[in-house]
Amino acid sequence: MDRVYVYQEGFLNLLTLLKYLIANKIKPFNIKEENYEASLLEEVVDLRLSLNKNILEEIKNKLGVNVLKILYYVYLSNDNNKELIMYYFYLNALKYPDTITLRRDLKCVREALKLEKYVGSEAHKLKGFVRFKELNNKVLYAKIKATNNCLEILANHFKRRLKEEYWIIHDEARHIMAIYDKKDYYIIDDNLLKMEDNKLSKDKYEDLWLTFFKTIAIKERENKTVQRNFMPKKYWENIIEVREEK
Amino acid sequence: MELKDKLRILADSAKYDASCSSSGSNRQNKYGMGNTSISGICHSFSSDGRCISLLKILMSNCCIFNCKYCLNRRSNNIQRATFTPEEVCEITLNFYRRNYIEGLFLSSGIIKDADYTMKLLIETISLLRFKYHFNGYIHAKAIPGAKEDLVKKLGSLVDRMSANIELPTKEGLKLLAPNKKEDNVTQIMQYVKEKRNRNFVPAGQSTQMIIGGTNETDLNIMEKSFSLYQNYHLKRVFYSAYIPVNKDRLLPSLVKPPLKRENRLYQADWLLRYYNLKVSDILDEAKPNFNLLIDPKADYALRHLEEYPKEINKVNYYELLKVPGIGVTSAKRIIQSRKVFKLNFDDLKRMGVVMKRAKYFITCDNKFLINKDMLKKEFIEANLVLDNKPIIEENIGKQLSLFG
Ligand code: SF4
Repeated sequence: MDRVYVYQEGFLNLLTLLKYLIANKIKPFNIKEENYEASLLEEVVDLRLSLNKNILEEIKNKLGVNVLKILYYVYLSNDNNKELIMYYFYLNALKYPDTITLRRDLKCVREALKLEKYVGSEAHKLKGFVRFKELNNKVLYAKIKATNNCLEILANHFKRRLKEEYWIIHDEARHIMAIYDKKDYYIIDDNLLKMEDNKLSKDKYEDLWLTFFKTIAIKERENKTVQRNFMPKKYWENIIEVREEK
Repeated sequence: MELKDKLRILADSAKYDASCSSSGSNRQNKYGMGNTSISGICHSFSSDGRCISLLKILMSNCCIFNCKYCLNRRSNNIQRATFTPEEVCEITLNFYRRNYIEGLFLSSGIIKDADYTMKLLIETISLLRFKYHFNGYIHAKAIPGAKEDLVKKLGSLVDRMSANIELPTKEGLKLLAPNKKEDNVTQIMQYVKEKRNRNFVPAGQSTQMIIGGTNETDLNIMEKSFSLYQNYHLKRVFYSAYIPVNKDRLLPSLVKPPLKRENRLYQADWLLRYYNLKVSDILDEAKPNFNLLIDPKADYALRHLEEYPKEINKVNYYELLKVPGIGVTSAKRIIQSRKVFKLNFDDLKRMGVVMKRAKYFITCDNKFLINKDMLKKEFIEANLVLDNKPIIEENIGKQLSLFG
């Protein structure tokens, strides 16, 4: 039977499992999160490893912070095969610690770098596209819809940028939100905090922004194709200045 | 007047400035609001496809000058408005908190005189920085002709400062902007170049030229840009296709702004800055304007076919860059990877090389991807153009005079 190894949710748990598999020369058929529904031909193996708390340091020291970052970004991606890609990337990084990111002749390296770039560029776009609304209690609230799980990258960004504000970023599809209390942010399940729509008051600066947005376009240069290429429609429902047009 | 109306008027007057870049600075947020991102962040894209990163506004659209091409010129009968410093702060801060913008781009028409206007900009930006502890990106236009200590003061507050050269030749400037003097602009550039450090204009300076308002050639324009990069270490020269906002017998009556030409200038500008090419490599007196059908790099390659093919596993970085279809990223990848393993054509494709363009100009291990007999100038040129659908569509109906 094809063995599918499962891990409890979380980046560290996955790394712990990957390390164990590699160290014991186990070649998994697949690696999935624990609620995985196996097919008839698959056997689910749950090793229940205890979390290796030093794993981040280990990888950083042995393979460099860049390899760790690549693993993390691949983990955040929505790719179906991401765990296997991470497994083979990690395995080869141990084999070629100095040149791993240059080994584009290896499929796992190509795939990992592609996903890293994909997640990085989506997160970078969202750093611009996030739109906060001011709630009545002065808290800033934003909804995002992201293909990859960009929430933590965004939280880190806004932690530095909007240091003196209370803010919430809500990934509705994943049912998670980042909340920031002027000291640090926490990623929580979204049913722990109910947002009521009536808390959203009318905001004069939204209106000013729409005016600015409309005015700044030069009609002689109109080019909606380029606009859509840079700002894909899938994000428009949360971008107030283009939401209506969607 | 309501704030909304002011914003409309003063954004409308500022929109022709091409720059909206927010890169090159990494101001930290010690306390207060905001920081900057070294690579810059686009927050939105307007319906003309341009990035919106900064709140781009004029302090005032009142102006004592009468530049022919400008909407705000003295003789135009338009609605005038001037922000108060507090109003600019209010909009900037509130837009920033909601993450609409990366910062502020503040420019102004010339109210009373250069010094007066400059002081108003300084007052506004000082408020933002010191009263409101705003650490987001600020790009300010220096007003040519203002006193040196004002230029110094403004530069110490902003991330980027710029002064627009407007037109590539002094004659052009004299014709269309008789009140302006190129020397006043280059004086500011010289000053910023000498003083620049991490507390003074950390993101560097830029400038802008209007394209197609006068009859200068692309060669004139590129020579001007090259000398600006050389003499004043500018970060960027922006090119802005002339849009007829005023009627004047001295101005061309263009129906459409020369956008393709503008695009070619940006491409060539890139070649100067990142590819180590010289203006004389891409243009000369015999051919002073760009081919609108073919980008400047492919054009260079076709005119220097004797330099090709380039052997991918051998030639250096700058030689790789001269291959159409290979950009900065893929060239770097090639250089790094070929130390570790020998590259073949499949590897190139995976590294982002556009093979349908590159294939005419490279060998891999001394092998060609295509039949060597097809490497004739006319054949390659026709294929490069035919592979480029948008160009074909733009030129439908016009005669495709490829081989003329
Ligand atoms: S100085 Fe010339 S370009 Fe600048 S606002 Fe006045 S008229 Fe326009």
